[in-house]
Amino acid sequence: MIFWTTLLIIHGLMALALLGAITHQTAALWWPVRAPAGSFVTRFRAVPGTSYVTAIIVLYVVTFVLGAWIYTQYRFTARLALEQLRFLKTVGVFELKEHLATIGLILLPAYWAYWRVPLSQEYANARKQVTLLLAVLVWSNFLIGHIANNARGLGS
Amino acid sequence: MTARDRTPIFALAFGIAYAVIYVICTEVNLPLLTYHPVTGEIGPLWQPPKNGPVMYWYGWMVTALIGALVLAWIATAIPEQWLQRMLIFGCAGAAAYLILHTVALFIYDKATVELEFLKSRWLSAAAAVIVSALVSYLLPPQWYKRVWHGWIWVVPLGAISVLAYYLSPYFTR
Repeated sequence: MIFWTTLLIIHGLMALALLGAITHQTAALWWPVRAPAGSFVTRFRAVPGTSYVTAIIVLYVVTFVLGAWIYTQYRFTARLALEQLRFLKTVGVFELKEHLATIGLILLPAYWAYWRVPLSQEYANARKQVTLLLAVLVWSNFLIGHIANNARGLGS
Repeated sequence: MTARDRTPIFALAFGIAYAVIYVICTEVNLPLLTYHPVTGEIGPLWQPPKNGPVMYWYGWMVTALIGALVLAWIATAIPEQWLQRMLIFGCAGAAAYLILHTVALFIYDKATVELEFLKSRWLSAAAAVIVSALVSYLLPPQWYKRVWHGWIWVVPLGAISVLAYYLSPYFTR
């Protein structure tokens, strides 16, 4: 049990780092700073988006692999308990998480292609759209993971 | 077309094809392998549960991966106009199917006489192909000049909507 708990914590930490990186990049892309950075929010938006690309891809893949591994344990432990307790909405929302994670993973090749340096103006819109969608998926999965963990997680 | 030009087309086609094949795999249940988490066994194709629950998710991903790689490779080999034409045809067809089948089921529910044929998926699919062909024919030629890279969010978002709809029993039971 200690092994799976450790893995879950690492998965959570990776997800947190990914969440920070993708949120930074999305904010900088959709809401770029026009004036010199001053407040915390302005500085948050003032990051160079290209420097985040590799980190986001690596973090996504590592978080995904860890999640897919932990999922094997979840399937016959936590999920069975959730079903017995009739927490069907929690089970359903976790099922959605697996699909959202897969869709996010398959966006990565396009995300990488649109963010290649030098940035192509031709893909400016696609770059914004794919980054935003990826950010929404990462946020959704982070929150769903929390819901599932709160329902039947560590120490339950 | 240079290798640099081809990369975004490959990535775009891969993302779209994967999303579509993945949805089909989950709906029809087409895993290339089945995982039995209790015993740690992996079996080829679809297998029934034994000694506990089974996991098809990994199998669906592998099926979709192979299909998407093949289609993405084909996409880089054909002219951009053809690819755009196919994407418009496919997306218009999917949207038309969704609308027509929903309307057909609505009419079936409200009708005072038995209209069994309205429940047929094939009928809705055939009608969707016709609508899609009409849409593709009527669109102005400039829509087909280049591939629209916005498909990379439109198709996966559509796939998510369908996948979420399949999961609705969890929230309505």
